Parts: sequence; C-alpha cells; structure tokens
Amino acid sequence: MTASGSLLAATILLPLAIAALCLSSRFRARAPSLLVFAPLPALLAALLVPDGTSALFPPPLRLSLMLDRPGAILLGGAALLWSAAGAFAASYMRSDPARAGFAVWWLLTLAGSLGLFIVRDIANFYLLFTLASLAAYGLIVHEQTARAHRAGTVYVVLALLAEAFLLLAFVMLAAGHPDPNPAIRDVVATLPAAPLRDAIVTLLVLGFALKLGLVPLHVWLPLAHPAAPMPASAVLSGVVVKAGAIGLIRFLPFEAGLPFWGTLLIGAGFVTAYYAAIVGVTQTRAKTILAYSTVSQMGLLAVLLGTGLENADPGATSLVAYYAVHHTLVKGALFLAVGVLAATGGQRLRPMLLLTAVLALSLGGMPLTSGALAKLASKPMLGYGLVSHAMALAGAGSTMLMLHFTLIVARDVRDNPASIAPAGQLVPWLAVAAASLILPWSLYPAISGEPLASLIQPDALWKLLWPMLLGTLALLLVRRFERLQGAIPEGDIVVLAEAGTPAIARLAAFVERADAHLRRWPVAGLLLLALAILIGGALMLQA
Amino acid sequence: MTPLALAPVHVATPGGYLLVLALTLPVIGVLAILAFAPRRARQVALASMAAGLAVAIAILAELLRTGDALTYVVGGWQPPLGIALRADGLSAALIAMTALVISATGLFARGMQDLSPETRDGRAATTFWALLLATWSALNTVFLGEDLFNLYVALELLTFAAVPLVCLDGRAETMAAALRYLMFALLGSLLYLLGVGLIYGAFGTLDIRILSGLGDGGPALSVALALMIAGLLAKAALFPLHLWLPPAHAGAPAAASAVLSALVIKAPVFLILRLVLDVAPPEAAAFAGQLLAVLGASSILFCSVMALRQARLKLMIAYSTVAQIGYLFIVFPLASGPEGTPPWETIAWTGGTLQLVSHALAKAAMFLAAGVVAEAFGHDRIAGLGGFGRALPLSAAAFGLAGLSLMGIPPSGGFIAKCLLLTAAVINGHPWLAATILAGGLLAGGYVFRVINTALASPATPLAVQRPIPRRLEMTALALAVAAVLLGFIPLEPFGLLQIGRSGLATAVAP
Amino acid sequence: MSSAISDTATLFGLCGAALAGIGLFVVIAHPGLLRRLVGFNILGAGIFMVFGAVARRGAAAGLPGDPVPQAMVITGIVVAFSASALAVALLRRLFDLTGRESLEPPAAGETPRAES
Repeated sequence: MTASGSLLAATILLPLAIAALCLSSRFRARAPSLLVFAPLPALLAALLVPDGTSALFPPPLRLSLMLDRPGAILLGGAALLWSAAGAFAASYMRSDPARAGFAVWWLLTLAGSLGLFIVRDIANFYLLFTLASLAAYGLIVHEQTARAHRAGTVYVVLALLAEAFLLLAFVMLAAGHPDPNPAIRDVVATLPAAPLRDAIVTLLVLGFALKLGLVPLHVWLPLAHPAAPMPASAVLSGVVVKAGAIGLIRFLPFEAGLPFWGTLLIGAGFVTAYYAAIVGVTQTRAKTILAYSTVSQMGLLAVLLGTGLENADPGATSLVAYYAVHHTLVKGALFLAVGVLAATGGQRLRPMLLLTAVLALSLGGMPLTSGALAKLASKPMLGYGLVSHAMALAGAGSTMLMLHFTLIVARDVRDNPASIAPAGQLVPWLAVAAASLILPWSLYPAISGEPLASLIQPDALWKLLWPMLLGTLALLLVRRFERLQGAIPEGDIVVLAEAGTPAIARLAAFVERADAHLRRWPVAGLLLLALAILIGGALMLQA
Repeated sequence: MTPLALAPVHVATPGGYLLVLALTLPVIGVLAILAFAPRRARQVALASMAAGLAVAIAILAELLRTGDALTYVVGGWQPPLGIALRADGLSAALIAMTALVISATGLFARGMQDLSPETRDGRAATTFWALLLATWSALNTVFLGEDLFNLYVALELLTFAAVPLVCLDGRAETMAAALRYLMFALLGSLLYLLGVGLIYGAFGTLDIRILSGLGDGGPALSVALALMIAGLLAKAALFPLHLWLPPAHAGAPAAASAVLSALVIKAPVFLILRLVLDVAPPEAAAFAGQLLAVLGASSILFCSVMALRQARLKLMIAYSTVAQIGYLFIVFPLASGPEGTPPWETIAWTGGTLQLVSHALAKAAMFLAAGVVAEAFGHDRIAGLGGFGRALPLSAAAFGLAGLSLMGIPPSGGFIAKCLLLTAAVINGHPWLAATILAGGLLAGGYVFRVINTALASPATPLAVQRPIPRRLEMTALALAVAAVLLGFIPLEPFGLLQIGRSGLATAVAP
Repeated sequence: MSSAISDTATLFGLCGAALAGIGLFVVIAHPGLLRRLVGFNILGAGIFMVFGAVARRGAAAGLPGDPVPQAMVITGIVVAFSASALAVALLRRLFDLTGRESLEPPAAGETPRAES
C-alpha cells in the first residue's frame, strides 16, 4: 500500500475509527474536541495526493478509491469546512449534555460525505451515500424540538426514497456487468448504449436530485438544514448536499453526452434557482433563508451539469466542482456567521456584519469574490445565448436573496449586549471565510485556463455588476410589500403533501380492517383450502 | 408401480455421525434436564448448547473440507425402506445459524432469569430449557431429513415444542394465542400428511432424492404437492395465513419470541423450498413459483403496513416477521436463471438464503432488545418509550443495527440479500418484484425509524427504569445484530457453500 | 390384480376422503374449540384410512400388505394423540382462566360461562 493510498483510506477510516472509539465512555467525553482532526487526512489527500491515484483494498472490504480532479477540488473544500465546523462545534456545543452523541453522528456523516468524493466502485458509493444520508438524520433531530422531529421525519422519508431510486438504478447499471461490484467509470461508459438507458438515467436523476434539492424535490432541505445546530447546518448545507452533485458528476455519461437529459437538467436547474430565490425572500428566519439559498445554488449547479451533459463536455465536471467548492466554503462561512453574530454585540458587530455581507453577496457574484470567479469561469461553457442571460438573472435572484439575508441578520443582532463570540467560534469562522476568499483565486487559472488579469477587465466587471444592481432593485421592490414577509411557510409545498396525510391514514385503516377480517379463523381456514386448490391448479396446468 | 432405484441413492459418508449427534445431543439434554430438574436444569441446558454449537461448527467444517454433502443412512437400510439424513450446503448453513441463535438466546435467557432469583429454578424456567432444546432438535431434524414422513414427525415435534413456549407465562391471552397457533399448525400438518399419503400411494417412496429423479409425476404428484405446500404455508404464516403469528410471537417471553420468529417459521419455509425446487417437476414449479411470489409480495406490502400501525413494540416486530418471510417466497420466479442454470447457482438463491439467515439473526436481536426494553420499563407501548435510548443505549443500538439489516441498508446481510434479489429481478425482467422489494425496504425503514426516533427522543420527564438491566444482557442482542451486519461482507455473487451437495455432480467450491 | 381387493381399497380410500371432508368442515366452521378438536381427529382418521388404502394397494404386488404405511399410521396416531393431549391441556387451562372455550371473545350481550 502506497502512502497516497493509505492517506485516501484514512480519509474514510479515521472518522470511523474515532466514532468506534466513542463506545468507550471515557473517550466519549473527549470526542467533541477531536472533531477538528477527523477530516485532516482528507485535507492532506486533497493537497498532496496526485490526481489519478487509486487504491484497492482486497475482499472482504472490496473497497476501491480514486482521486481525480473534480474529486480533489471537492474533497479539499469539504475537508476544510468539516474541520473548521468541527472546531466551531467543540466550542458551540460545550455545555450540551448530548454532545457526545452529536459527535458520533457528526463523524459518521463526515466519513460518508468525504468518502463519496473519492470512492471508485459502485457498491461502496452506495454504502457511503447511505451513511452520509442516514447519519445526517442524527444531526437534524439533535435539538429534539417538535420542528426538528418534523424536519427529521420529512428528511428520512425522502432520503429513503432517494436510496430506493438509487439502489434500483445501480443494480440496473451493474446487472449486465461481469464484475458484481464494478468501477463506476466502467459502468457509466456502457450506459449510453444500455437497453434500459432512459429508465436508469431517470432513476439516477431522481435520486440525486432529491439529495441536491431540485424543485419540487427540495421540500426537506429548508426544513432540515435550519433545524440542526449551527455547525451541523453549515456542513449539511455546505458539504452533505454535494453528495447529489458528486453523484451526478460520477454517474452521468459526460463523455458521450445525453442532450435530452442535459436540457432537462438545465430547465430543472433554472426553475429551482428562481423558485428558491422567490420563496426564500419571503422567509423571516436567517437560517431558513440560507437553506433556500442553498436550494437556489444547487439549481445553478444542475444548470452547469446539464450544459456539460448536453454538449458532451467532460470538462464541465471540474467546473461544477469549482462552483461547488465556492458554495461549500461561502455557505459554511455564512451559517457559522449566524452563530458568531448571535454571540456578538456592541462595537465589534459592525466589521463582522460587513464581512458577513461580503460573504453573502459573493453568492450573488460580487466582483473579486469567489462567486464572481465561479461565474466568470463558467461563462465560456454556458455560451452567450439564452442560458447565459438566464444565469445572469439567477445572479440577480441570489443578490436579492442574500441582501434580504443580510438585512434579517442585522435586524436579529441589533440589540445584542456588547460581547464577543468565543475564540473557539470566531477563529474557525474567519478561517473558512478567508479560505472562501482566497482558495478560488489559486484554482482559477487551472480551471478556466485564463490568467487572473482577465478578471478585472471592465467588461467582466460589468457582466457581474448589472445582475447585482437588478437584484438590489428587486429587493427594494419586495420590501415595499410588508405582507410578503412570512407569507410562505418553510418547506413551501411540503405543506400540500402533508395535506394528503388523511388519505394515507384512511388507506392504512383499511389495511387494518382487512387484516382483522383475514385473521378470523373461518376466513383463514377457507383461504388455506383455496390456496391448496390454487397451487394444485398451478402445478397441474404445466405438468 | 414402484420404481425402486437399483444403486443405493444415499451413500453414507465418514462425517455422517455428526448429523446424528446434531439430532440427539439436544434430546439427551432434554432427558438430562428432566432427570436433574429443577436445580441443574440450566447448567445441563447450557452445556448441551456448547456441545451443539461445536457439532454445528464441525458439520460446517467437514462440509467445507470434503466439498460434498454429509450423509448418514439410519441402520444401513436404504430408502425407501430406511431413512437417510443428509446435510448439503444449505442445510449446514441453517444448522449453523440455528446453533448460533439458540446459544445466544440461551445466554440471554440465563441473564433474564438471573434478574428474578426467586423463580430462577421454577417450573417455567425448567420447562423453558427443555422446550428450547427440543425445538433445536426438531429444527435440526427438519434441516437434515430426507424422508417426507420423517419430516412430518419433525414438524410436529417442532410445533409441540414451540406452542408451549408461547404460553410459558400462563396468562389467558397467551394461552389463547398458543391454542390458535396449535390449531392452525395442526390443520397445516394434516394437509401435509394427506399429501405424504398420496405420494406414497403413487410412487412407493418418500425419499426426496428418489422423488426428484422421477421427472413428470402426473396429477397425483401435483395434488399431493399442493396439499403439502399449502399445509406448510399455514405453518410458515405467510399472508393471508398469518392469523396466529402476531399474538403468538408478541405474547411469548422475549427469548422464546426470538427463537420462534427467527428459527421456527424457517423450518416450513425450508421444506417448501425443497419441495418446489427438488420434488416438483421444473416446468410445473415455474407456475406455482409465480403464485407463491404473488403471496410473498402481498405479504411484504400488507404486513409492513400493519407493522407500521402497531402500537406495541413486540407486535410490530411480529408483523415485520410476516413481511420479511415474504422475501423468501419471491425467490421462486427469480431463481430461474438462464437456460440450463440450476436454481442454486443463481444469485437469487444466494440472496434468498442470505435473507433467511440475516433475518434470523436480525429478528432474534430485535426481539431480545425488545425484551430488555419491556423488562426495564414494564411495558412495550412505543408511544410510552420516548427516550429509551438514553437509558438503554446498547439495546437501542442493537435494535438500530438489526433494523438496518431488515431495511436492507448497507453494510448488512439484509442489504446484500435484497441487492442480489433486486439484481435477479432486473435481469429476469420482473419489474413488479423489483418495485415490491424496494417498497418493502421503504416500509421497513418506516417502522424501524419510528422506533429509533422514539429511542432518540428526549421527553420532558425522562423514562424511569423500573429494573436495572445488567450490561451483559444487552450485549447478547447487540452481538446478534452485529453478526447480521457482518454478513454483509460476503461477496456479491453466487455463494460456493450453498451449492455443495445440490446437484448429482457436486463440485467443491471454496466460499 | 384382483378387482375385489382393488374395490375394497377404493372404498376405503373414498371413506377416508369423506371423513377428511367432514373433519375439515368441522374444523373450519365450528368456533367451539372442543368440537374443533374432534374435527381434527375425524380429519386425522380420514387421512389414516387413506394410508390404509395405500397399504392395501401394495397387496396387489403379491405381498400380504405394505408394512411401511402401516408403520406410518401407527406413528401418525401417536403424533395425533400427542397433539390432542396438548390441545386439551391448553384448552382446560384457557377454560380455567377465562371460562371460555372458543378463541373469539364472546359477542356483546352473551355472558361468559361461570368458572368451573
């Protein structure tokens, strides 16, 4: 086993090992302070391991790992956020009696979500995907409020549904393959020619779109992400949703292209981006607005993926990863900011609010921020047609939403007593914020193939500024209508789905009555005889 | 009219005496318990368990070593006059599973009895040990038998040992549940017996191996098989014949429920498998297999919904058993591989067996964990158990891990089983079976999460533990649940062990 | 093959079938557990007669009678006896505890019998 290989393996195994050590009660008390170290192998792997390294583990583990370009970008950003959020959590949850349990769920989610970026074979992809999905439930319901339980229930139902879609899709993909556990790349290469291609792609897109939160499958996200404790919200919204993105990157055939599905993804992505921005601007809780912003941004990721799929452009995957890592860091920093600001007041509030505003506007594409870089990097691929304009309009939507967020946060913290958040929370937040501002610059030339100087051309600046101005105008317009605030409940259309509950209850009651009837002795006795006759008939029919 | 085979059908193998030990050791244990009761009952029982576990491991090792089935011909009399015992790969796997579950249950029961020293050597405790060993012997006989009438006797012994297990506590409602169980099982056995009579009348032999070589058996065979399969379905409690199972399995003491739900209902399922695959002519089996799959699929969907609706933990687990048994019946249409592939070389066969074994381990773990919960809090109403995970973390973990296997979440035996069945459904083009497997997994997710959610809740007033539970008691359930999860590490392909001794040309395949 | 023997065997078989039918009817249709138990025994007797007929048919091969089914009938009777004994024991216990002798709870308006 090479050093690179062991580093990749440690990415998954170290968090799991720490989680396993939590079985010992003495160790458990110290677990929260170790959260910051758990993602370090991943961070080192992203920095040190060369692209294209793979590692195979013999049965019974049957695990094979591989680090490629998009995976490395996502892994690095995600590990950074996990680590910082882990440090934040150790301070934030200091007096929580249930923090040891929280740490275990945290580590399990971490292992799953980071492992997804480097796993190479299909069975372990499913395993890690499941691990990340189900362990996140523990983070969501941690606060044990009625809200959290409702969010957890909706989350679990939809997560299990996504699992079912994906399991069927994976089984259909692997069914014709000689190796029972093939590499993802091998099966995806055969996908365009597969007889069941459209069924498989439908299932894949449904499963991953559920995770990504594309409208109308997004209903769990605005409920679940705000329900978790602050650091958990940051990683859920920053990293765990990216499981859907990495899934689409890995499982869609970008080399061969699927024009129809590409167009569909673009359409769904734009609907999601606009819809979430509009619903989000009616929300009154900062964390919920951030969750809607995540939905909206995931819509834009879907647009990029769709464009790559439509044009059969494998380079799109790196771009998607670049955009995703921008969102990971910024969204993570924003959630942490909500936590930090809540504990801050007085003189020190102003610079912090300013930094928060910059981070927020980065999502709208403010010049010189990572958002601007991500948008400019994707311009060439999107072309200059309708899609490009629609993308700019989405930037306006994001600006509107994030300005709304900034105003809400500023309102929430206006009356805080003079104090400052503990260093254990402040430092991680500043670290993520700094990373979000710096990291994308260092990656830009490699991703876009253009020098950094191209970023400060007046032409490029104008392309970024007019959507922001439009977004600001839109927000001013929206704020004229007081009644809009809080007009749409969190999770929007989930409320419609929940209205269908009585029908399900009626069905279940019917099943219960049927069961009571079938379990009466004479009925069961007659059924037994009828079955004997039926089986006899079936056997004779062919004999 | 009696096509007696000229060459001996069964040739005794050197390791055959192990099979006799597997049957007789528990019986000797029962006799010793009766002789030494009441004070030495549990020592005798636990010693028999250790010996039985060793025999089961020896059978498995011998099978893997020789790569061929073990056979013992009783008294050297060849069938059709004599009877034979035979352990192929499937039987050996089930014997090992039985030994594991019985031993774990025994350890659990010992810990449970230690909680109330005044009744530790009482009549109920002694009876429990004797019945447990009797159940074990009967189960081994079912898994090893080759003679249909011998199997009838084994099934009846199993019923007679299992029914009193249901009503050990002597309450009126468990008494009624036991009676209902006994009566319906009797109805099933008598149908089976009628089928046996018809087969003997038509063919003059009851040996499964001889019968399997007969080819087309005509209408007599069809009628006989239909009666036998229907009778066995009644004992296996497949929907819609599950009337007796929920009250019986939910009312029994935890250790008894674990054995009943994990092992006892597997015996008739195993026999149905053998009748359909070994005795029935293949083309007839195909159509009957479809019918059984329809029943299995309805069982999965209907009883999973019922499990979701139960207010009591043990009733929920009992309904879940009926649902999970359904998976074993959808194997029949899936196990027809490409042309010429015998069923036992298909992935569905491996998947079905794995489902059987992993369900046994997971369900036993669940019932034991539920028993701990009921013992600690004095009731098992799910609504009143909010936050039990804090008081009993190991039991909650055992329940959750076992639940993973039932839901088919990786990495667990249940996942591999469902994945293999799903693959078989996709390859053979059975979309509705694939949908059923997935829907069953979703519903199982529903009822497992309902309990996990309860375990993780933190109610305003924390649950008061009425009786302290020693850690060791909880560990038994956890160990079984972990075993169910570890099964998920076997390879995703037809499993070599299960093919041993299936065909005439047995080939040694290392697992 | 002598037709007389064959006819006797057929008659035996038919009688057995009739008994099995009556037994099945009683078992399925009667709620009273004691009656149901009698039904089981009638059903069992019918099945044993079928076995007897089967043994008799073996006589056609020139043997005085096939011993295997006879052995099975004897074993079967022992098993059936044990089953009846177990059922009666449970039934007595249930009756002692509840005063009922059927599994279905007494319908509204019908008073359970007094404890014996």
